[in-house]
Amino acid sequence: MLSLLIGIPLLGSIWIGLIPERAGKSIHRRLALGFGWVLFGLSAGLLLAFDPHLGSLQLAETMAWIPQLGLVYELGVDGISLPLVVMTGLLVLMAIWASGQVERPRLYYSLVLMLAAAVAGAFLAQNLLLFFLFYEVELIPLYLLIAIWGGPQRTYAATKFLIYTALSGILLLIGFFGLSWLSDAHSFTYTVLQAHPLPLVQQTLLLVPILLGLAIKIPLVPFHTWLPDAHVEASTPISVLLAGLLLKLGTYGLLRFGLQLLPDAWEQAGPWLAGWAVVNVLYGSLDALVQQDMKKLVAYSSIAHMGYILLATAAATPLSLVGSVFQMVSHGLISALLFLLVGAVYTNTGTRDLRLLQGLLNPERGLPLIGSLMVLGVMASGGTPGMVGFIAEFTIFRGSFPVFPLQTLLCMMGTGLTAAYFLLMVNRVFFGRLSEVATAMSRQQVRERLPAVVLATLVVVLGLQPAWATHWIEPTTADLAKSVALSAAATEGVVGKLTCFMACDSS
Amino acid sequence: MTFTLPRDGSSLPLSHFFLAGLDPLDQVRISPILQRLEAGGALLPDSQIHRLEVIGILHSYGEVLDAYSRNLIFIADHQFLELFPAFKYFNGEITLGKWLRYLWHDRINYEFAEYCMKAMLWHGGGGLDRYLDTPEFVQRAKAAIRAKIRFNPFLQGLGILFPDFALEQVRMLAMYSGLGQFWRVMSDIFLSLSKRSETEPHLTIPEVVAHIQQGLVAAAGKPIAYAPCIWGRRYEIIPLSAGLTFLPDTAIPYVEAVFFRSFPFMGTVSYNAQAGQIPHEQADFAYGALYADPLPVGSAGIPPTLLMQDMMRHLPPRLREHYRRSPRGEEDLRVKICLSFQKAMFCVTTAALRALAPFPLETQDPQQQKANREFLTPWLQRLAGSRLLSMQEVFGM
Amino acid sequence: MSNLLGLESSWWIPCYGWAGTALAIPWATGWVKRSGPRPAAYLNILLTLAAFAHGLWLLRQVWGRDPQILNYPWFRVADLDLTLSLEISPLTIGAVVWISGLSLLAQIYALGYLDKDWGLGRFAALMGFFEGGMTGIALSDSLFFSYALLEMLTLSTYLLVGFWYAQPLVVTAARDAFLTKRVGDLLLLMGVVAVSNFSGALTFSDLRDWAATASLDPTWAAWMGLALMAGPLGKCAQFPLHLWLDEAMEGPTPASILRNSAVVACGAFVLIKLQPLLALSPITDGVLVAIGTITALGGSLVALAQIDIKRTFSYSTSAYLGLVFVAVGMQQPELALELLLMHGLAKALLFMGAGSLIYTTATQNLTELGGLRSRMPATVAAFAVGSLGMVALLPLGCFWTLTRLALVYGVLQPALVGVLLWVNGLTALNLARVFGLVFQGSPQPKTRRAPEVGWLMALPMGILTVQTLLMPWLFGRWGLYPDWSPELRWIAALLTASGLVGAAIGGWLYWGSQRRVHLPWPELQDLLAHDFYTGHLYQALVVQPVGALSRGLEWLDRNGVDGLVNGVSLAFFFSGEALKYTLSGRMQLYVLVIVMGVVLVTAWLLHSLHLGLAY
Repeated sequence: MLSLLIGIPLLGSIWIGLIPERAGKSIHRRLALGFGWVLFGLSAGLLLAFDPHLGSLQLAETMAWIPQLGLVYELGVDGISLPLVVMTGLLVLMAIWASGQVERPRLYYSLVLMLAAAVAGAFLAQNLLLFFLFYEVELIPLYLLIAIWGGPQRTYAATKFLIYTALSGILLLIGFFGLSWLSDAHSFTYTVLQAHPLPLVQQTLLLVPILLGLAIKIPLVPFHTWLPDAHVEASTPISVLLAGLLLKLGTYGLLRFGLQLLPDAWEQAGPWLAGWAVVNVLYGSLDALVQQDMKKLVAYSSIAHMGYILLATAAATPLSLVGSVFQMVSHGLISALLFLLVGAVYTNTGTRDLRLLQGLLNPERGLPLIGSLMVLGVMASGGTPGMVGFIAEFTIFRGSFPVFPLQTLLCMMGTGLTAAYFLLMVNRVFFGRLSEVATAMSRQQVRERLPAVVLATLVVVLGLQPAWATHWIEPTTADLAKSVALSAAATEGVVGKLTCFMACDSS
Repeated sequence: MTFTLPRDGSSLPLSHFFLAGLDPLDQVRISPILQRLEAGGALLPDSQIHRLEVIGILHSYGEVLDAYSRNLIFIADHQFLELFPAFKYFNGEITLGKWLRYLWHDRINYEFAEYCMKAMLWHGGGGLDRYLDTPEFVQRAKAAIRAKIRFNPFLQGLGILFPDFALEQVRMLAMYSGLGQFWRVMSDIFLSLSKRSETEPHLTIPEVVAHIQQGLVAAAGKPIAYAPCIWGRRYEIIPLSAGLTFLPDTAIPYVEAVFFRSFPFMGTVSYNAQAGQIPHEQADFAYGALYADPLPVGSAGIPPTLLMQDMMRHLPPRLREHYRRSPRGEEDLRVKICLSFQKAMFCVTTAALRALAPFPLETQDPQQQKANREFLTPWLQRLAGSRLLSMQEVFGM
Repeated sequence: MSNLLGLESSWWIPCYGWAGTALAIPWATGWVKRSGPRPAAYLNILLTLAAFAHGLWLLRQVWGRDPQILNYPWFRVADLDLTLSLEISPLTIGAVVWISGLSLLAQIYALGYLDKDWGLGRFAALMGFFEGGMTGIALSDSLFFSYALLEMLTLSTYLLVGFWYAQPLVVTAARDAFLTKRVGDLLLLMGVVAVSNFSGALTFSDLRDWAATASLDPTWAAWMGLALMAGPLGKCAQFPLHLWLDEAMEGPTPASILRNSAVVACGAFVLIKLQPLLALSPITDGVLVAIGTITALGGSLVALAQIDIKRTFSYSTSAYLGLVFVAVGMQQPELALELLLMHGLAKALLFMGAGSLIYTTATQNLTELGGLRSRMPATVAAFAVGSLGMVALLPLGCFWTLTRLALVYGVLQPALVGVLLWVNGLTALNLARVFGLVFQGSPQPKTRRAPEVGWLMALPMGILTVQTLLMPWLFGRWGLYPDWSPELRWIAALLTASGLVGAAIGGWLYWGSQRRVHLPWPELQDLLAHDFYTGHLYQALVVQPVGALSRGLEWLDRNGVDGLVNGVSLAFFFSGEALKYTLSGRMQLYVLVIVMGVVLVTAWLLHSLHLGLAY
């Protein structure tokens, strides 16, 4: 079952790649849509196959690949990866849908599906090397998607993206090898590694490269500068995938490799990480406040929102962990929605410059539907109740407050800034008299706006019924929090005994 | 032409053609319009597309005005001092089907007619407005009011506490009637033009103007009277003896109030007193049909949307087809209609100017020409700030 | 049993409003193109009527009974348990009736006021949303849901103020309204998060129990109290978060009717519910009283200097809500609620009157109005009764509340009696000024032709006028007013005197032909007219510093961080020469180089690992 989630898009990628361009204008698109639907159906089907009451790994598949290297083809899904896999299915479908008429459709759709396979693989992998493999495979299609279908500065942005992410991959690989090497297990399998925890010093040594690698991918300040460039140059559907899925590989890594495999070091680093989260949130938000390009603004907002996930993961309470996964889903949906809408503004007006756009709510010649959805999207992102962003962030704040009260309060200020920069954007772009710039273009078909409507609906539905999302997540994160707490208690116990011993000794 | 018109304003005596307060560029742009007027043209240049739009939109406008005018007259005559005129737009015909249609808002937006009536009432001007302040009017209105409220102690009591309440309402009803009678004539003119264009498919803009002008001149002396029906009896409030006539007492105040001044749209202008966006003097108001920005039509707080919506439902097929073929198709229909409507209204304004000018505008007599220019100068001065200059491009000759 | 079933249905009430919003969507979004937007308004009026009737019916069921709590589990995850908890009591249901009644009147009024507005469908949808949020707050017994609903009110205020989105001042007004309220909401959220951590509870009833026994660190208690207070502070337009209400007057008047009566009251309602928590720290109560006093004194002064009819009333709203804050700070929740109710009715009436003037005369400028007294019966009645209902002059609504407040303060803190006298006097002066400017004197050019508004606007005004007149009688019948004691007589006489003095000065100055009074110190007049230059204050203290910080960071981001990190990461891979070459555009080749690099490094690592494993 899980292999199909990787296999189907891969098959689609190859199939589409084999059909020549001259075979017809829309055949590639229709095929890709078909595969998108199948992928989405399969990932949604996962919800039926998955038992939400269990916190353990489910539907596991194992096959030896290169056992000498420790590379085993091991797949599995738990409450952390399940929502992300389902979201992969959804967002890939949306991205294909939103692509419309692209140049060179054969290569384009083939790459998109390859990307989908790689991302799904990374979320499903239960082996460090396998994860790394998928993590690297995902780079190439995305690089090409930016470099070929991007904006005027695409080569620069794509190259920057490639260098940064490749670097992040190498850092991760160093960490992974270290993990396997230092532990007695000599294995790359998550569960095996988890069962053989390392001493604190070694954990700390390994956490550094892994954390740096993930920090580039997420991205965390100051390793974030590739992201705004990549977003600005990427075409709309690629931005959707980038923000919705690829950033989540990083935050997923925080939970998987940081918290799960290196719990003691993680706990020690907690306060620093929470501080880093604060920096991320405030830095991203303040930067977003002065951006003039709508896409760049949304990109900086993404950076800020990643800070909340870091905070929640650092706090590692049962509630904050649910919140962190929930926020991944929430941010995935909301940022995908926002990028779709910004893309719609761009294709209809030819600009994303806040200084040129004005009055797009105009019902006759503006983009009233896009505008209304944009209001909804930015409100969701700014944490207005009734939408998924609010409850996810509330869960994080409420869960992190007992551990890091001050950091949590500082992060909350970020939601205020989010409201500020997004409101400034909406007011400038959609309110006021319609600017002449925007009047020349023709409008999109309703059909092309459907992905945004679907995402907006999901944002509201999950906001009103958050349990429909957390229900799948909670058992796993609860187990995770428990195991972390146990291990922390063990360390503390040792330390406590030591101090007692020393105290007794000195007396 | 034996008497050649000067090419530009410079060779004209300054007093005749220098439009004070205009920037030089607008001076230059106004001068060809003046020349065109004196050569028998209209404020709107003649072109194939302009003909199509103007004749088409005047057809739908004629139909809408017909409905507006009937309703205004109905309200004035049959809803006299009704406190709860819930069915005032039904024209006295209340059936379940009609009621359901009205509930669904599938109807003419008579609110816009009332809006124009309010503009005329509020801005005033003309003989009708003056008559409303005469003792004769007060005395006649009071008689009608007494008749109306004789079985209504509530209104009688109200009349003691607020003596001018009913009187002010009757003034408003008189204006309902006046505007209704004015629009009756205009509707007939526009509909006959539309009918004429069926047999004469190549009517030019000057011919359209001439048609309207003829209609105006023919109706100029038509008397304006008002006698509402109270308890089955007619009470004369504006008698024929008041001597009010179509052109000076309704048409000119209408042009002033609706074409030029009107009200600021809440959707685009702030009413905040401290912001001072609205002029203190009513004479400085320039929010009328000839000035309004067509782009926000369809948005909230833009009353002309109602008129555009009504005309949209009565578009002749040829015009609809023309809109459909233009960029954006039917997506921005109401903005397109508004643009065409403004073009048409410049033709109506031309006709009014020609009708009011002391001499025929094409005259070759320098004395008459001088008088004409003295007449035209203030009008052109005002029009320079309107949408006029944005409509001078000629497409598709 | 059937009775219980009846109460169970109380959660429907907010849903009527929201259902109205949902039903109005086809018109609000413009999907219905051929016919007009009125059905949306009719549907919303119908649903509001249903909410009102349902509320009345429930009120009869609960009249004279103890409060009941209804719990509906909503979201439960880890140790967080968010329960949708409703308090069903005469008070909350009464509030529901009051809110839905006002909403009903405002919506009917809007049919008249916005009769030429093609955005009516959107307006109806927003009013439904507004009403749903407000009735929800009235019923909610959960701090979490009250917070969430307050945020929804913030959103709907933004959308309602932004109704005429193409108007330039609306653009800034909507933005400022949202952001100012958001500041308060955010602090409230911080308070909510803190409280729920300290107490483990989120319903008002549990919190009340917790507060009774809690032993919290005084600093935390103070900060928490201040944070919780901040939400209502913004919502009630109290100093220093008050400027939005002035700007919000750019929105359509029917929404202003609700905003100045019911919406601000919702904020204060939550404040009153939070009172047991605020009492944990003596500091918060002190701050409440201080802020309330400042706003009450300042607001009533600023109102005097306004020439815009809507703004002069909106500042008086701030002032009265200041009195409510003082009352809450002085532990007088019942009187605070009563003041909210009475002020709300009177203020709604005044705003209806203001709307009718704007509709008829097309101006909001008081100096351009005049001489309307004999022509506009409904409007005159609304103004007269609304004004009298606001101040302690005749025994109408606020008279009774203010006297009893003064009686309490006389014992606890006599200086506050002075505040009441001051606000009462200045408000009377201001209302007399407005009445004089609008109705007395001779007609001005813009009021030369001013027929009274149509029945859709006049009827709600009439109903509310009668209701305002009836309110003291109803309260007397319900036995809510005390008997006349000698102290009460004294206090009442004092307040009436202050009202009389104010009204007399106002009448003397403005009931003639005088349009404007110039103070001998123009600086002072400007200071008041511009609300003590609060807008400039925001600019200097918040907007500019944050903007400068942002711009600085952005510069750093572009020139510092980007370059540095780029350099480091590129150096990791290549020499500068290679970079220059590849960046110039040989993309395909570059991919190859990168991939090969990655593969090589990987292979090397794998190789060494292989050795390691073998070893």
